[in-house]
Amino acid sequence: MQAVRFHGRGGQGAKTASRILGTAAFLEGYQAQDSPIYGAERRGAPVAAFTRIAKEPIRERGLIARPDLVVIADASLIDDPAARVLDGIDERTAVFVNSSLTAEQLGAQTSHAGRLTTLDLTDIALQQFGKRGAISALLGAVAGRLVGLRRESIHEAIARELADFGLAAPVIERNQTVALQCYDAVRTVSVVAGAPQPIAPAQLQVPTYEPPTRGTARISAAANSVLRETGGWRTFRPVLVPDKCNGCWLCFAYCPDGVISMNKDDRPVIDYDHCKGCQICVHECPTEALVAEREKEGAVAWKAK
Amino acid sequence: MTWQRETFKKIKQIPREEHVLPGTALCAGCGGLEALRLAAKVLGDDVVYVNAAGCFTMLAAYPFTPFKGSWLYTTMGSAPAGAQGVRDALDVLIAKGRLPKEEDLKVVVLGGDGSTYDMALSSTSGAITRKLDFYYFCYDNEAYGNTGAQLSPATPYGARTTTSPCSLQHPSGTTQEKKDIFEIWRAHKPPYIATVAPRYPLDLEEKFARAAKFTGPKLFLALSACPTGWLYDPGETPEVAKLAVETGLWPLKEAINGEVTHTYIPKRKPVEEYLKLQGRFRHLFEPTRQDDAIRHIQARVDEYWQQVKG
Repeated sequence: MQAVRFHGRGGQGAKTASRILGTAAFLEGYQAQDSPIYGAERRGAPVAAFTRIAKEPIRERGLIARPDLVVIADASLIDDPAARVLDGIDERTAVFVNSSLTAEQLGAQTSHAGRLTTLDLTDIALQQFGKRGAISALLGAVAGRLVGLRRESIHEAIARELADFGLAAPVIERNQTVALQCYDAVRTVSVVAGAPQPIAPAQLQVPTYEPPTRGTARISAAANSVLRETGGWRTFRPVLVPDKCNGCWLCFAYCPDGVISMNKDDRPVIDYDHCKGCQICVHECPTEALVAEREKEGAVAWKAK
Repeated sequence: MTWQRETFKKIKQIPREEHVLPGTALCAGCGGLEALRLAAKVLGDDVVYVNAAGCFTMLAAYPFTPFKGSWLYTTMGSAPAGAQGVRDALDVLIAKGRLPKEEDLKVVVLGGDGSTYDMALSSTSGAITRKLDFYYFCYDNEAYGNTGAQLSPATPYGARTTTSPCSLQHPSGTTQEKKDIFEIWRAHKPPYIATVAPRYPLDLEEKFARAAKFTGPKLFLALSACPTGWLYDPGETPEVAKLAVETGLWPLKEAINGEVTHTYIPKRKPVEEYLKLQGRFRHLFEPTRQDDAIRHIQARVDEYWQQVKG
C-alpha cells in the first residue's frame, strides 16, 4: 500500500488533489481511499487530505501518520507548526514541495529527513491560467507521477473530479494540459510503499474538568489574538506604491481583519504579521496604489509566539 | 423622503480604533468579519458578545480572543437565551449596587444564518417578545459555512451548496427561496431592525449609531459574502457585496417599530452580473445557460422592488 498525505492551504485544492489521485488509481484497477481532515476548512488555513492506494483491499482507516509520500502545496506550511507537515517523515519518505527553490536549496533551508523534489506550481498556474486559484489538478498530477500512475488515468481523473465543480469543458481541458505538463516536468523520487505504521494505539486522553462551582473553561486575557500571527497564510502580499496613494481610506474601511491603519499623512500602514493576503485592498484601491507581490519563501517566517 | 445619514457622512469619520483585533482564524476575505469589524467600531469595547456556534466560533478559538470585552459561547439554538441571562445578571448587579450604572455593558448576539434563520429562531422570537435589551448581529453567508457550505434556509434559489448540488432532477441547484427573516423579525415589531452590507460602511455605521438610541431588541442582518462557500476570489468580497446591493438582491433598509425605510435605492443592474461572479451560480451559465432559472431570480427581485415603490 502507498500512503500519500497532502498538505495545503484552504482554497489551494489539496482535498481535490487527493481525490484526483484516488480516482486515477481506481481507474487503473487499484483499491483507493481518499479523505480530507474534517474540520473548519478555512481559506488560507492549513488543511490536509489523505489517499491510500493498494492492490489488495485497504483495511486501514483514518489519518496517515507515517506517509510514503507527502505533497506540500505551499512551502510556507513547512514553517507553520500548526500544519504539522513533517510529522512522521523519515529518510525513506518522499516529499514534494510546491516551491520556486530547487530540492537542494530547500533541503539546505529546512533540515528534514525525507527525499525532496520540487516544482513551482504556483508560478506555472499563474503563467498558464493568468490568475491565482486552486492548483488541485497540478498537485494531483504530480502525486500521480510520483506514485507511478499513468498519464491517461490522471487525465481522466482530472476530468471526473473537476466536472463535479460544474467547471466548463475548456477550463477542464486547460487544467488537464497544464497538469500533464507538470506530470512530465517533476523530477521523480521513488516512493517506497508500505511505511510501517505505529502499532501502539493512540492513548485516549480524558480531559479533567473543574467542577461547575469553579466555573467553565474561560480565557481571562483580553485581545490576545494578536499573539497568533496569520501572515503566513499569504501567497501574495499587498505592497503600497506611495506615490500613487491618494489617501482615500478605502483599504482601511474594507480590510476584514483590521490590519490596515492610516498614518497621520493618510497613508495605509499594513501589519504584515497578521495580513492574510485576501487582496481586498488591492482590488478596491481606486488608484492602483496597492499591488500584489508574490511572497518569497522565507520572507514570511511564521513565528508562533 | 430620502434617508439621510446624520452621524457618518464621510469615510474619514470611520473610527480609527480597532475593537476586533487581528489574528483570528476566520477565512481570508471574510465578509462577515468585515461587517463585524465595522459594527464594533460603533459598539466599542464595553460589550459582552454571546456567540452562537458557527463560523464566528473561530473568532475566539481557545486560548485566543480578538475582543477587549467578554465573549460567551453558546449552542446554535440558544444565543438569545444566553443574552437574556447576561442582561439579567447585569441588571441585578446594577440594582444591588455591585456594578456602577456607567459600567453597564451592551449585550450582542453573534449568529450565522444557520443559527438565525433556523435553529435559534424560536429563541430569538422569545427574546424579542420579552423586549430584551440586546443587539442581534446575524452574519448571513447564505449557508452553513463553517462545516463546508451546506444548505440553510438563507440559501437563495439557484445557488449550489454541498447538500443542494446541481443534478439532473434539480439542474438549478437550490430549489427553495431564501427565507425572509427580516419580515419575520418585523412581525414582532422590535424597535430597530436593519440590513447592512460592509461594502457600504457609512450606511452600516450610521445604522448602528441610530440603533443605540433604542432600548429593546436591535436586530441586524449583515450580508457576509463568503469566498469559501460562494466560490470567488477572496479579493472580490466587496465587489460581490456591491453587486448584491446594486442588483437589488440585498436591499439596504431599516425598520423602526415595524415601519420600513429603504436607506439606499439601487438603479438595479441585471442579477446576472452578481450571479456570474460566483462559482456557486456557475452552473446557471455553464455548460448550458439556464435562462429560466436566471429569469426566475430576476423576476423575484423585480417583484420585490415594485412592492417597495407601490
